[in-house]
Amino acid sequence: MKWGRLPVFLLLKGNARSPMPESLTVLIEALPYLLQGAMVTAAAVVGAMGLGLIVGVHMAVGQVYGKPYIRRFVNVYVWFFRGVPILVLLFLFYFGLFSLLDLNLSAFTSVILVLGMTTAAYQSQIFRGAMESLPQGQLKAARALGMSDFKAITTIILPQALRLSIPGWSNEYAIILKDSALAFVLGTPEIMARTHFVASRTYQHLTLYVAAGVLYFILTWLGVKGLRKLEQRVRIPGYSHAGWTK
Amino acid sequence: MKKVLCIVAVFSLLGLVFGGMPAAAEKEYINGIDANFPPFAFVDKSGKASGFDIDAVDWIAKEMGFKVKHQPMDWDGIIPNLVAKKIDFIASGMSITAERAKKVNFTIPYWEIKQVFVAKKDSKYSVQYILTEKMTLGVQRGTSEAEWLKDNAPKKGWNFILKYYDSAPMAVEDVVNGRIAAAAMDDAPAEDAVKKKPVKILGTFGMKEENFGYAVRKEDTELLNNLNEGLKKLMASPYWQELINKYLKK
Repeated sequence: MKWGRLPVFLLLKGNARSPMPESLTVLIEALPYLLQGAMVTAAAVVGAMGLGLIVGVHMAVGQVYGKPYIRRFVNVYVWFFRGVPILVLLFLFYFGLFSLLDLNLSAFTSVILVLGMTTAAYQSQIFRGAMESLPQGQLKAARALGMSDFKAITTIILPQALRLSIPGWSNEYAIILKDSALAFVLGTPEIMARTHFVASRTYQHLTLYVAAGVLYFILTWLGVKGLRKLEQRVRIPGYSHAGWTK
Repeated sequence: MKKVLCIVAVFSLLGLVFGGMPAAAEKEYINGIDANFPPFAFVDKSGKASGFDIDAVDWIAKEMGFKVKHQPMDWDGIIPNLVAKKIDFIASGMSITAERAKKVNFTIPYWEIKQVFVAKKDSKYSVQYILTEKMTLGVQRGTSEAEWLKDNAPKKGWNFILKYYDSAPMAVEDVVNGRIAAAAMDDAPAEDAVKKKPVKILGTFGMKEENFGYAVRKEDTELLNNLNEGLKKLMASPYWQELINKYLKK
């Protein structure tokens, strides 16, 4: 390998006209534009994860405690959204269903809806796993105390199950964050799309894609770190394994 | 109380989602562009859509009295986007082809384009050699040159291997990296690449000259007439030459 081909060298190689490497000038100029893209990505992911949380919790409860027809519906929903690639879903809903129903939704809204519905399917399984890991005796005891099923589920099962779900949920966050890069097929100017635009104008592909990778890394890190903090904050004392091996 | 808060939160979220829809009252057209196509359409330093086609459309919009917004899109999906009414027209260096004319209507042609091969500056290959000697050739997916190369290779006994890219600049990048012998692309973006990368234009490869036109939905005759009239006025005005000097002069 020639030394000149080393990536680091490519990143920092200047030219005769200016002392600052062109790649750096391009990167500094493009940074505000790329950061706006990071905001678009973050907004889409927060929206999708929120939607997925609301829908996912309901579906998990329905799948575990619901009537047979509800269980069947959730099964089909989860089977569909886990089985079809997100790229296909984006096209299917944006050009197909939303147009058919004459819903004039923007690309950004469509991305949130499709990512949200997809992650809802995955999230419902995270919540279901957590709920089913709780001992059945808790519900029996609640019933013996005269609680309604609804009250028992919302005040006893869910508060525990949601706590248990946070690690799995932070995984889902990281996955959806990176899936959001597909949003560009609908014309949403998120990180990847903007990186691509700047690279096409400046021909500094390597530098710019490294920058995009760093932006995704920061967003993942922030989210996962925040969820870890939340997990520790809502921990029930004496209920977790923390500090066991001191 | 919590429940009420929850309901309020859900509705405010819905409001956010649906509130973003444009009001129908103002006549604003959306121009779908491939922002990976300098000098015709790209995103400038401040993040604004810019380029030959963008400036031309802005002038026409002002002249003909309508508003226009430029929306960067994936080139692959740009015609489906137009047909599905996500955008209203395409002014982004689109070649007028018979295939595309089945799905959309084109305005009058405004720029003639040649298709060329771009190779590494120190490349020793000729166009003919690349076509016939099992070399790898890069091309942007969904372009007329991609279609033409694929259709003509068996007819003319060419046996190059075609590699598809999302955009022409990516193909150029791979030329520089040495993964492909050459990239087939329009001459204007090729000139742009030559300015920025150690590549050269090898020459044309036998594809007939093409013309760029704006694409409009079949049923949208009013917009088509507007654009046609605007284009005629623009091409007769001195601003046209100014635009050519600004973006397309070598």
